Amino acid sequence: MNADIAPLSGPVPPRQSQKEATRQRVVAAAHELFDTHGYQGTTIREIARHAGVSVGSVFTTFASKGEILSEVMQARLEPLYAEIDRVMPHLRGCTADRLRTMFAVHFEFEARHVRLFMSHIAAAYDWTLPPAARPYGRTPRLQEVIRDTLIKGRTEGDVRQDVDLQEIVDLLMSAYAWTYRLVITQEADARLLIGVMDRQIGLIADGFAPKP
Amino acid sequence: MKHISPTQVAVDTPTRAPTRRALAKQQTRLKVLAAARRLFSEQGYEGATIRDIAAAAGMSTGAVFANFTDKSDLFREIMQDDMEALTAAMRDAAARGRNVEDAVLKIFMAGYTFYKTRLQLARAAFSVSWDKDGGPTLRGMSSSAAFQDLFTEQLTAGVERGELSQEAEVKLRSQMLFDTYLSNFPQAIFEGWSLDALQARARDQIRILLAGARRG
Repeated sequence: MNADIAPLSGPVPPRQSQKEATRQRVVAAAHELFDTHGYQGTTIREIARHAGVSVGSVFTTFASKGEILSEVMQARLEPLYAEIDRVMPHLRGCTADRLRTMFAVHFEFEARHVRLFMSHIAAAYDWTLPPAARPYGRTPRLQEVIRDTLIKGRTEGDVRQDVDLQEIVDLLMSAYAWTYRLVITQEADARLLIGVMDRQIGLIADGFAPKP
Repeated sequence: MKHISPTQVAVDTPTRAPTRRALAKQQTRLKVLAAARRLFSEQGYEGATIRDIAAAAGMSTGAVFANFTDKSDLFREIMQDDMEALTAAMRDAAARGRNVEDAVLKIFMAGYTFYKTRLQLARAAFSVSWDKDGGPTLRGMSSSAAFQDLFTEQLTAGVERGELSQEAEVKLRSQMLFDTYLSNFPQAIFEGWSLDALQARARDQIRILLAGARRG
């Protein structure tokens, strides 16, 4: 969360601005290296060299490589969620269709860097991951968007009143994550992933629909 | 390298007792596997090295390599053993199910119960399964496919008994049930959920995933 703390006003203390500059350079360098060599194939030493900073200063800014990955993922998700926030209010159709569109935007976005995204999922099981890191599953934005869509569905009557929203959110989150497995097993592209997710959403929607 | 399990040795040479050398080799393998299982659990797949595993088993790295081609070979062997035992446990549990929903829930619970005492190994397996190289190996294992078959069998039986509609989309639903089963592991691993808590959650999830198949 440190990145959110912006200086309030006036000149930035030199030390802090230097630290922030290091942080940004490390995140940018890590982003490039993770994209090309993958997460496992990139070392802290290489990130430091690519960023033009010392290994020591990487470690004074981040506790581990896992934390750098979380930071990279957060930074790159900003434009995605700006797009989602812009699009969602204008979507028509039933709740399932709105969810389909929302996830399709995600798949298209992640398909460009799909290995990076899968590292993000794998990081959830990383031994060395510090508590501050936020691998997939601990990212709040996606959960919020799903939840808002379901709440809207409730007011429009195609989501049952007595359904546990968090459970539906979790089911959709896990369906989304596990769909990426098709990239490993079948080298699926975004279109295939979207097609599979659409069907899964339909099936989950049967589960949250009001009883006939 | 072809692996020979103790039972295979017995089957392959029914008339002759295994030689002392074969027994010694088998002992070595078991010792390495036990040490590897412990280290993978303690340090994860990436963290455990062949050197550490050899040291923990009280032998040279050469002796480890004489029995296993590499670390992934060792890990696969451990997972294979567990998955076979677990599939059998799940199959037994499902047979006691009163209906589709109950049978599926019992499959889930057999899995959570089995891994209750080896969550750290499960964590290592998840980590490997998302890996570009390790993923295909682990997911491609026949015993991994057997898990999904268990769900397919239960749903198919449900269709035959008329509990589920003919258009139950058995394949997709089995896949999703399997994924959902797996997706609850982080709660067990990181948040220490009890078996009761997992059961309550799983029951709801299964209901939601089967709801559409009941109509029609």
